[in-house]
Amino acid sequence: MMKALHIAIKDLRIRIRDRNTLVLMLLLPIGLTAIIGFAFGGDSGISSIGVALVGPEDGDLLTNAAAGLLSQVELFDAEVTTEDEAREAVASGRKSAAIVLPEGLIDAVLEGAPAEIAVLQDPASGIKARIVETMVERFATSASAGGIVGRAIFDAVEAERPITEAERWQLTGWMFQWMYETWSEPAIAIEEAEAETRDVDVHSYFAPSFAVLFLLFTMLASAKTIHEERESGTYGRLMASPVGRSTFIAGKLMGSYALAAVQVLLLIVLGSLLFGIDWGSHPVAVIVMALVTAAGAASLAIVIASVARTARQTDNVGTAFILMMSLLGGSMWPIEQAPASFQNVARFTFNYWAHSGFKKLVFYDAGLAGISQEILIILAMSIVFFGASVLLLSRRQVLT
Amino acid sequence: MRGEPIIEVDGLVKRYGQLVAVDAVSFVVNEGEIFGLLGPNGAGKTTTISVLSCLTPPTAGTAKIAGLDVTRNSLAARSKIGVVPQEIALYPTLTARDNLVFWGRMYGVPERTLAERIDELLSVVQLAERAGGRIDTFSGGMKRRINIAAGLIHRPDVLFLDEPTVGIDPQTRRSILDLVKDLNASGLTVLYTTHYLEEAEFLCDRVGIMDEGKMLAIGTRAELTTSIGATTSIDVRADGLDDSIVDWLSSLEQVTDVARDGDDLTINTTAEANLLPVIVERLAAGGAKVHSVDVKVPNLESVFLHLTGKSLRDEGDQDAAATKTNALHG
Repeated sequence: MMKALHIAIKDLRIRIRDRNTLVLMLLLPIGLTAIIGFAFGGDSGISSIGVALVGPEDGDLLTNAAAGLLSQVELFDAEVTTEDEAREAVASGRKSAAIVLPEGLIDAVLEGAPAEIAVLQDPASGIKARIVETMVERFATSASAGGIVGRAIFDAVEAERPITEAERWQLTGWMFQWMYETWSEPAIAIEEAEAETRDVDVHSYFAPSFAVLFLLFTMLASAKTIHEERESGTYGRLMASPVGRSTFIAGKLMGSYALAAVQVLLLIVLGSLLFGIDWGSHPVAVIVMALVTAAGAASLAIVIASVARTARQTDNVGTAFILMMSLLGGSMWPIEQAPASFQNVARFTFNYWAHSGFKKLVFYDAGLAGISQEILIILAMSIVFFGASVLLLSRRQVLT
Repeated sequence: MRGEPIIEVDGLVKRYGQLVAVDAVSFVVNEGEIFGLLGPNGAGKTTTISVLSCLTPPTAGTAKIAGLDVTRNSLAARSKIGVVPQEIALYPTLTARDNLVFWGRMYGVPERTLAERIDELLSVVQLAERAGGRIDTFSGGMKRRINIAAGLIHRPDVLFLDEPTVGIDPQTRRSILDLVKDLNASGLTVLYTTHYLEEAEFLCDRVGIMDEGKMLAIGTRAELTTSIGATTSIDVRADGLDDSIVDWLSSLEQVTDVARDGDDLTINTTAEANLLPVIVERLAAGGAKVHSVDVKVPNLESVFLHLTGKSLRDEGDQDAAATKTNALHG
């Protein structure tokens, strides 16, 4: 056991003295998080979303009502324009999205007929455009509800007597007022707005993602040393000394795991210090999640190294595998936007569960119970990976 | 032969599939000896050392270190040996001292004596002042010396040196060979593999000649050369030679052949060391004036050539061997 510990300490000393390791461990994930943060709207999340609003030619009332609704949310910077101007503004990136209200929308709402509100999106403003789309969906839902209520009123009055044109407009105005108040109901709206502001904090979203991605790369570099030791002759020298192969593998695993744990914990601290990320109010849960994630990444990297036959092969195969798994598992993009079928596939990746655990800590302030599923699944993965690597290293004689 | 047998190899066979890397090799190394395994690349020297180092199990036969079977008592046998592989098996970004500390711990050297042992070894390999330097900042020779020190950290009974001078300059080679001599003089048994004849002749008390996995012959240089009937050739150039000197030389028991061509005299003998002063004295007494004497001692190259029908030096080794000869005798 002491010899395994000495091997682990030796590995840690070598890795920590290696500048490339420090770049991979800390600088790259932090740098990428900062770049993505700036690209998506600064270092404090999304502060403003430019929206172009296009109303129907005969629909000033509707257009003004919609503009009024949008102005209720500070996040939106709405501007009423023509459709051509709106398309140009979105295409040039000046606006994140444009909302196009169709002709006859009021009548369609009142009559319960189908109508489509178009949302033009800037592909480069993925999250912002998605927020606009969500708001329009909510508006459409309120409008449908308002239409049902309005039609019920009209039907009730018309059953007694015919409705005059003035009454029709009065009722329509009242209906819009009801929709407006329903949509912008202060108590709920304020609460939801706060929740959404946390939801779209780019740094909070991507810092854990990149931490997991680069944790895997650091672990790959660490696991690769199994082959480097064989290729440089130090493994042979170790095997000619009173050190067993199992001691060597245990030392390698311990060293990798310690490095992984240090990396995740440091990235959590640096994420708080540099980007103001709030990891929630359950520090024990954060530490447990970090340590479990480190175990998963270390054992996954070891299994990759044990499948490969050389250090170079470990690099090539491992890099391809990690990139693919990170794409699938949501370490590079918001997987929440993917179709359900894709997310089901993502559940088979380590990245998905690691990211899911950190997301629950950051966005939902989950405690240990809240992330228990993620912890159990990653621990199960770690056990499977570790068992597979021990089997491969011993049966396939990778080290001889 | 010096002490008791410390390495005993009997009928050792190692096969890799159809390839027979070591074919029924047997030899014994005694305490305090420098025993050389001499042969070309692919002769089976490194495979033999790998089996003795417990790195690979034998296919057949037995190998014992200090009476411990390397297959059945692997861990105990490993603690008796120090291995210096051909490559620099060190951690390049760690310091010399850190490397030695690590290897000391792997051999279970007690912490209380480890620092003292490291200081002693750094002094032996003349690198005490570079203890804190990283290995990757060292010259090739310095790395080689630390590589040897790492094999000595636990005071082994036997040191295995696997071609430790491959690819290094003559000066460094000389310092390493001197170091091995010094270590042996202090009582350390050495098993040394090489494909350089001059190293084997310079260092080894006894040599085992290997080729194509087989042990062809074992003995001291004299035993090996005698076994193939090789003789020392003494070429003398002198004024005033006559047939009486030829007759006299022919009558000597140690002289196997004498030929005279004018002022040149060629004598083949089995006892060069004893005979040369006698010849010179006899020539002087007979009034001859000696201008030059050239002694050609039979070497292991002659033995290898005799045993295998081929030269140990291939084309690529010629230059290296020449520079090595200079290093050994310089």
